[in-house]
Amino acid sequence: MRREIPLFITFLVGVIFLFGPITTGDVPLVGMQFREIVSVYLSPWTTIISAFAIGLASVNLLRLHGNYVARKRPGWINSAALVFSMLFFTVARTIRELRPADPDIVAFYSRIFDNIAAPLSGAMFAILAFYIASASYRAFRARSLEASVLLVAAIVVMLGAAPVGAIIWDYFPSLQRWLLAVPNTAGQRAIIIGAAIGGFATSLRILFGLERGYLGGE
Amino acid sequence: MKLVPGNIFGFWTMLFVSICILLIVKLAKDGKFVVKLRRIAGLEAIEEAIGRATEMGKPVHFSPGIADVTGDTAPQTFAALEVLGYVTGLSAKYNAELIVSIRIPNVFPLAQEVVRQGYMAAGKTDLFKEDTVRFLSSEQFAYIAGVLGIFARQRVAANLMIGAFWAESLLMAEGGAQVGAIQVAGTANMHQIPFFVAACDYTLIGEEIYAGGAYLSQDKVRLGSIASQDYIKLALMAVIFVGAVMMTAGNDWLRVLLVK
Amino acid sequence: MNWAKQLQNIDRRIIYTILMIGLIVPLIWPIGIPLSTQEVTRSIYNIIEDLDPATDVVLLSFDYSPASAPDLHPSSVALVEHLTARGIRWVAVSFWPEGPQMSEMIMRDLEARGLTYGEDFIDLGFMAGGENAIMSFAQDSRVIKTDVRGNNIDTLTLMDGIVDMNDFAFVIGLSAGDPGYNAFIRQAVDPMGVKFAAAVVTVSVPAAMPFVSSGQMKGLLGGLRGAAEYEQLTGIIGQGAAMMDAQSIGHLIIVAFIIVGNVAYFFSKKN
Repeated sequence: MRREIPLFITFLVGVIFLFGPITTGDVPLVGMQFREIVSVYLSPWTTIISAFAIGLASVNLLRLHGNYVARKRPGWINSAALVFSMLFFTVARTIRELRPADPDIVAFYSRIFDNIAAPLSGAMFAILAFYIASASYRAFRARSLEASVLLVAAIVVMLGAAPVGAIIWDYFPSLQRWLLAVPNTAGQRAIIIGAAIGGFATSLRILFGLERGYLGGE
Repeated sequence: MKLVPGNIFGFWTMLFVSICILLIVKLAKDGKFVVKLRRIAGLEAIEEAIGRATEMGKPVHFSPGIADVTGDTAPQTFAALEVLGYVTGLSAKYNAELIVSIRIPNVFPLAQEVVRQGYMAAGKTDLFKEDTVRFLSSEQFAYIAGVLGIFARQRVAANLMIGAFWAESLLMAEGGAQVGAIQVAGTANMHQIPFFVAACDYTLIGEEIYAGGAYLSQDKVRLGSIASQDYIKLALMAVIFVGAVMMTAGNDWLRVLLVK
Repeated sequence: MNWAKQLQNIDRRIIYTILMIGLIVPLIWPIGIPLSTQEVTRSIYNIIEDLDPATDVVLLSFDYSPASAPDLHPSSVALVEHLTARGIRWVAVSFWPEGPQMSEMIMRDLEARGLTYGEDFIDLGFMAGGENAIMSFAQDSRVIKTDVRGNNIDTLTLMDGIVDMNDFAFVIGLSAGDPGYNAFIRQAVDPMGVKFAAAVVTVSVPAAMPFVSSGQMKGLLGGLRGAAEYEQLTGIIGQGAAMMDAQSIGHLIIVAFIIVGNVAYFFSKKN
């Protein structure tokens, strides 16, 4: 029963979620619409489960890094910084949620978010620009016909997207637009369709309990 | 209770397609329909990558993507967990250190269980450590910063990225390339595929990640499911072709039917 | 040939340094490279130009985080400036937890300039649930009972007459990922016929193009370039235009390195 019960719950909940957006009218014998069952009973559960999952993961994180700090493992100072910032932001946000109308608390949280969290995230995103430069330099070599096509397409799209491309050659922008609108769209649509069918088949296997890899073991 | 207009054709199509998938899966399971998958280089390379890591005495890193187990990207996460089971088995076989980094808290217990069971099945429970599966952060770029930290400190020799990825994909792939890791990546998020192609040694494109579990396990049920996907695609291609011809001829009967 | 081998293996720190200089210099000394406007950008502009300030309300969905703000926030600002200039009221909502922080930055600036929260714009805040939340909101846009400032939405005149997403004259998704424009298309555009357009991060432009071609999205602002084009159309120059010179130089540097690497590759192959 250790497997059968979760599989049955998976099937039941999956069917309810599936029928929610596509049906109207009360479900016979239940007296509620599928979408009402989703919003009244199931959605709160997903929130609760997510909250517990965050709690579990956070406890694991604190335990692991607390251990590193206690044993002064190499790099423990990083673990200490992680634990401190995690607790600091948790407390700050909790207070913000409890006192949403207090302008000082709102301003304080906005300040720490705008000046610490936001720039850190932005900096990581900005690293992408440098990494794409080194990745392109390393990978875009005309080693074969396909690689050469990739290389030419990349150069056309890059120069077509930037205003300077139109100055170098008038046709870069229109070539770039054609590449995006025709071959790119055709390829993207094919992959979207294939991936959607693959996702549907995988979901069906999970729904009917044919796929149990995520439960661990066989 | 009735179907919302705009979903009627979709619903009956879904029902028909589901029956076809289940039928083909049943035929494959009973051995009446033998499925052979073409060679997928990326999946074959996983064992090579783990073997290389063992020889170098360095860890293997696995990321099941940054998507949750709910939503339209959930199948990618489940596909990744299937591959994780296989990777765990291989890591146990070769005694390679495995590090699994997790972004979504919901995925953390699932990944832990998959890895724990994998080591148990291989009879190597002692290889499962407290920090084998690590939740890093729910915030996307904090997660990738954590992964890059793992790469830099532990100099991973193999980096496997299977699942749903977004902007952090290139950071992870390039970070792995910079420490010299052999990299196998796969996602059905097509906007990240170019980055994986540029930065990784092997890339699984789109639905190849869904074939991962079937390909690696050679399980008849999963193989049947993969085969059924191909037949559905063939049918869809026929519909697209017929629809394009009809629309070109000025007949929108099929288009009207599709949006019923 | 030694030089060919060296040119194929340039230290990445050199690449990063050159790129960094190439990006910073135009920000300090702008070049002013002329910019053409694409049809996908102009479509959004034309739709907003045709809206009626007396009756139309626009929905802006802030679905991005600070990480993608450098690429997407200029588009948000450009759109809001256009709406403000035309006197069109707008409602903000978000299906990403960090979204309200992004909309708050814009609203603070507007309030400092004399506009009134509650009359010119409101913010319904974050709604958890991802695509399910988008579906709920599309079918019942009064499902969020209070705005971010604790006001009951029934007391807000901006929400008068708004029952579902179709009651908004135009819906614009500011999307950096998932849930984003894809979810809006599935839950609002296809089933309900909502008039929808999106501003996306640059990397999502190729993936979003099929939906513009099919007509499901009425237009598309693609990253900084989209913001710069929009600023050019409205005449309200902001960060988008300012950064286009840096983007141009950045792209040129990357292309130059690719060419250098390939030239070296061919020379080393020849020998």
